[in-house]
Amino acid sequence: MVSRFDQQKTKHQLFHVSLSLATILICMTYMQYRRNWAHLGSFWDSLIVPIVFIGELLKVTLARFFGRIEDGVLTTKQRQKKAAYFTPRELLGGLTLQFLCTLLYAFICIILGAPVLANYEQTFVLSLLMTLLTVSPTVFLLGGGGALQVCFCEKPDFITKCEDTALHLFKYNALGGILGAWAGSVVAPLDWGRDWQAYPIPNVIGALLGSALGNIYACTHVLYACGRVYMSKKRA
Amino acid sequence: MNYTYLFVLIWLAYLICSGVLLFSRGFLLARVSKTETSTCRRLSTNPNDEYFLTPEVVQEIFKDVNASTSSNLCLPQKSKVIILVVDALKYEFGVYKENVTEPPLPYENKLDVLHRLLQQAPERARLMRFKADPPTTTLQRLKGLTTGSLPTFIDIGSNFASPEINEDNVIDQMVKSNLPLVFLGDSTWTDLYPRRFKRAYSYPSFDIFDLDSVDNQIMQHLPKELASNDWQVLIAHFLGVDHCGHKHGPIHDEMARKLTEMNDIISSVVAGMDNDTTLLIMGDHGMTASGDHGGDTDDETNALLFAYTKQHKFYTSNNSGSDSEMLQQIDLVPTLSTILGVPIPYSNLGLINFNIVPAIAVPHLSKFQTLLLHAWQNAHQIYRYFFNYAMENKRTFNVEEMDKLETEFILLTHRVQTIYNEAAFKSFVRDLNINLRDILNVCREIWVKFEPTQMSQGLLFSFLPIFFAFLLVNNSNASEYAQIFKPKEVFYTFLINIAAGVFGYRYYKNFSFKTEEHGVIFFSSLLSAVLLAFYTVRQWKSIANNWANVKRFGHMPTRLLLFASVAVFFSNSFVIQEAKILSYLLVAIILLLVYELLQLSARLDFKNKFKWSQFLRSTALRLVLASLLAICCIRFAYTLFRCREEQGNCADFASASTAGFSVKKPAMGKTYILAVVIIVLYTTLTRLYLRSCGNLTGNSPNVLLARYGPTVASICAGGHILLANSAIKNIQRTHIDTMALVIYGLLILQILVVSWSPLMIFVLPPKNPNTITVNGRDSIVPEIFRKMKRMYEGDDAERRYEIPVVYGLATVYSSIIISFGVFLAMLMIVLLEPRASIGLIVCMVVGAILLSVHGILRYRTASSFESCVQPTFSAVVGWFLLAHFCFFATSHQTTLSQIDWRAAFVGRSSALGQSHLISGTLVILNTFCGPIFFYCMYSLLSTETFSLFALFPNLIKSSRNSNANNRSNGKASAAATALSDLANDAVGFDMTRGELALYEYEDVFLGAGFKLATQFFMLQGLKIFCAMLACTIHCRHLMVWKIFAPRFIYEALATFVGLPALIVGYMLLLRINRAVDGLIKCINKDK
Repeated sequence: MVSRFDQQKTKHQLFHVSLSLATILICMTYMQYRRNWAHLGSFWDSLIVPIVFIGELLKVTLARFFGRIEDGVLTTKQRQKKAAYFTPRELLGGLTLQFLCTLLYAFICIILGAPVLANYEQTFVLSLLMTLLTVSPTVFLLGGGGALQVCFCEKPDFITKCEDTALHLFKYNALGGILGAWAGSVVAPLDWGRDWQAYPIPNVIGALLGSALGNIYACTHVLYACGRVYMSKKRA
Repeated sequence: MNYTYLFVLIWLAYLICSGVLLFSRGFLLARVSKTETSTCRRLSTNPNDEYFLTPEVVQEIFKDVNASTSSNLCLPQKSKVIILVVDALKYEFGVYKENVTEPPLPYENKLDVLHRLLQQAPERARLMRFKADPPTTTLQRLKGLTTGSLPTFIDIGSNFASPEINEDNVIDQMVKSNLPLVFLGDSTWTDLYPRRFKRAYSYPSFDIFDLDSVDNQIMQHLPKELASNDWQVLIAHFLGVDHCGHKHGPIHDEMARKLTEMNDIISSVVAGMDNDTTLLIMGDHGMTASGDHGGDTDDETNALLFAYTKQHKFYTSNNSGSDSEMLQQIDLVPTLSTILGVPIPYSNLGLINFNIVPAIAVPHLSKFQTLLLHAWQNAHQIYRYFFNYAMENKRTFNVEEMDKLETEFILLTHRVQTIYNEAAFKSFVRDLNINLRDILNVCREIWVKFEPTQMSQGLLFSFLPIFFAFLLVNNSNASEYAQIFKPKEVFYTFLINIAAGVFGYRYYKNFSFKTEEHGVIFFSSLLSAVLLAFYTVRQWKSIANNWANVKRFGHMPTRLLLFASVAVFFSNSFVIQEAKILSYLLVAIILLLVYELLQLSARLDFKNKFKWSQFLRSTALRLVLASLLAICCIRFAYTLFRCREEQGNCADFASASTAGFSVKKPAMGKTYILAVVIIVLYTTLTRLYLRSCGNLTGNSPNVLLARYGPTVASICAGGHILLANSAIKNIQRTHIDTMALVIYGLLILQILVVSWSPLMIFVLPPKNPNTITVNGRDSIVPEIFRKMKRMYEGDDAERRYEIPVVYGLATVYSSIIISFGVFLAMLMIVLLEPRASIGLIVCMVVGAILLSVHGILRYRTASSFESCVQPTFSAVVGWFLLAHFCFFATSHQTTLSQIDWRAAFVGRSSALGQSHLISGTLVILNTFCGPIFFYCMYSLLSTETFSLFALFPNLIKSSRNSNANNRSNGKASAAATALSDLANDAVGFDMTRGELALYEYEDVFLGAGFKLATQFFMLQGLKIFCAMLACTIHCRHLMVWKIFAPRFIYEALATFVGLPALIVGYMLLLRINRAVDGLIKCINKDK
């Protein structure tokens, strides 16, 4: 499959990546605007989580938008799936899954060294952010059951081409977010005595930067593939 | 049988260790001690002597104070001296507090005799802070207190073996001046100064649990000695307070008792001394809040000094300008020399402090003239030493700084000629003192110098073997080693190395090496590097082939983790927090393994539809839960970490002023019980495991030992923990020690049994009609049924009769390694503190889980026997991190004051003598229990895959099923085929045979064991190399002696201990393999 700039898929990918990067840019601007980063760990005082949430929603909407074009060629299974999207069962399942994931992330934070009996709020914010970066987009796109299948099974047959493209990009986002949050801890032991070395801040920023890097990587991939095709065509 | 690999391992270990040793020789260089001694012209009050003090002589002296005749004078002796050294007498112990809180802390206001004397006669008593230089260990302090020089870093380790001092010191000067000395107390003195004392009552400082016996002996002899008049100097060194600090900490009733005892002794000495005697009471160092010492915090360096005379007043700071608040410990030497009228030792750097010198008038000299003469003698001596030292060790000191100091000194020599009154003297002494302190500081800064050649060669020679081992061993297949390392060639390699060593030993001077050792290491390492390069080049073709097949950027996350774990050395804040960082990385490795496993198996388990019910039943979930348990264990180990001073709010170092002053080991009853419970659980679980493998059947010696030994050992370990820490006072030490001795004995017995007949199997007599290898978990009934069916059908029953039945053959390798590990663990548990032993067992749990998760992962990713027997890189790194994590989990920390010396005394009071070798071994075993244990057990990584599948054959089916289905969808017959066929399908051999398969592919297996050991060599080598590199980069860092150097020392010791432990692990493997070989041959012959 050759990729070209004027293809639907490429457009989708590029829009998607620029949406992610824009979200993170907005986050960074917000942080710059607030100056003091100490609030990053608090739930009510920081806008990072809502911004990321809106960003993920927009990405899903983008996928839906591009998906409309394919509507005509869907299989029955895909149609069924699409019809079941807004049923209470799916919605409830998706919420439960996300909640469980948040708990899992909180647990992982604690076993990786977060205080057990303190800093609940900070741990909660961090795990919420991780959920938003990793699991939520998939759940928003496919519903709870679909997300589980995507995670644990072979590629299910109800996924449309467009959803597949989005999922592929979500993977970079998630991987970058996890690695970034994990690597963010590197500044914690240093003796610089800055206030932003306090527990969740490096990890939150690490997660954001990590997902940005993941997106940039994905973007380069797409651009590189397109560029090569474009060049070879031009030469020919 | 092939011992070639073993020798190759020994060779590699030697190369790495010698590189590290060479580096440490260059990095931790000691001060060059000078053997010159001072002499002096003794001015005497006796008219018959040569230099009788007359007004003419005095005039002549003051005509030119700098003239050679007047620059080394000794004024007459001022008084006799009694020195009472109370080990670890902290400054706070002696300060009287008027309004103490009720009730007073155990150490407060116990030495009230000092207070009384100060009140009675403030001009005849002095109480001062006595500032020690680090390291604050007794031997180093005694050296500093008698030579007046700065102690050097490298001496620290030799606290067990105190060698005689060869530098000039105040004791030798006293002996030369015919002042008789009497000594009572700690035998460290008589080790340092053998044959110096007229009478010595010395007692070993060996047993730190013993609070009283040395002190009681001193008290018995002290009154008699006080009464006799034939000594000029009496030294008594009390140990009780220090031992009490080590055992109970400063806040304990025992401390109150010991200090009250000291108070009584001081009172009696004060009462018993005559009028022309000066009494000096001093502590050699302080103690931290937990009662330990060795570092350089204020708590440890602030000791107490109290001086008292009955008749003569002391000089005051008004007439001398000396500091009346604080006395540096090196200042004691010149001060003592002044009181006794002996020459100041040659290498002294301290200043006379006149506050504790009795003001006894010297005939024909005014007061300020006396002081001037003393101070100027001191200055001359320091300059003589400093400039001689600088001349002989060029480039040690900064030239400009030297010039500045010298100019100042020349100015002072002119100024000293013109001092005719007290005011001029005072300002002169002030300037002189500033100048001399400058010299001291210059020395202190520069003293520990490095030798760049040795350091760079050390770095190079430890890097080369690691590099070539990586090229040669890591990039060859296990089956190729037999061609690479031929026995004859390895033999010649050893010969060449020995020849190179002998050459280096003989001709090291021709190559301008300083020591024989350097020559030996240089030449043997150089030749070995050439040989390794030769091996590599010869093998290059296959190496290049194998390398081409390696996936680029494979194992990236694991490499990143490894990189992070070695990068720790380069930042001081990372070293400080290393325990947490290691656990962070270890958790990450386990999560990574789990992720790989989930990715691999979950996708296979659920083909198209995700079902919760299926997920809940799957093996994957169980493994995930087990890994979570392991991670929780690691998180729990956080509570066992020992903090270090730099982390802040560390109870071990909390200074007395803060409110959170903790008692040593507070209320630990629960911990002891928990430790005992965990030990019992641990032995029970291993026993259950071995029994279910069928390894506890029969009567062979090793089986008997494994059946009853651990039980006995765990009872003894539990008893030892409870008794040694119980509050009951009247338990005999011998009874406690017996328990430890039983465990030592059991380990030795285990070693003997393993070397004599290691196998833990039971060969059933052939008449028994059972036909297959029974492993406990496999249900018996179907087997019997199948057997009966076969007998019914007459299915070659004749032949089957002949097949012998062997219990435990499926785990023939791992069972022995495990039971050996149990005894090793028991030994370590008895050496460790109870809290730390919990940490050790927690680490073993993590290790077991790591093994099982990896075992399954390995099988599912393997494609042949060779890949199956070789652990994945992640698991190797995980095991490696675990070994080092265990160091921290067992309450160790990489600081020098936190070495757990108590281990040296476990089981030692009655038997086993006082050999330093055994003490050292025990302390090393305690400190490095993690690396030693996990490195000895390293071969489990490759054998455990096999025993796991022999124990749970269903695992084969589950993984196989999905795989088969995956590859070709409609293969319904998969379930019907036998397990062994399934395994054959997957990895090309019969997995159900368990570890017997290892014997069938003996060559590959032994090669893989060798490869695994070499991989651990490389990881450990990489770590120590990074530690050395960090030390080289940071060698002028502010924290180098506090953080980087101790970290390097610990890592170097871990290397010296860990590589032999790996070799022991490999030897164990070889021994078992030989025994299996014998067994199989024997069975075949019988048939």
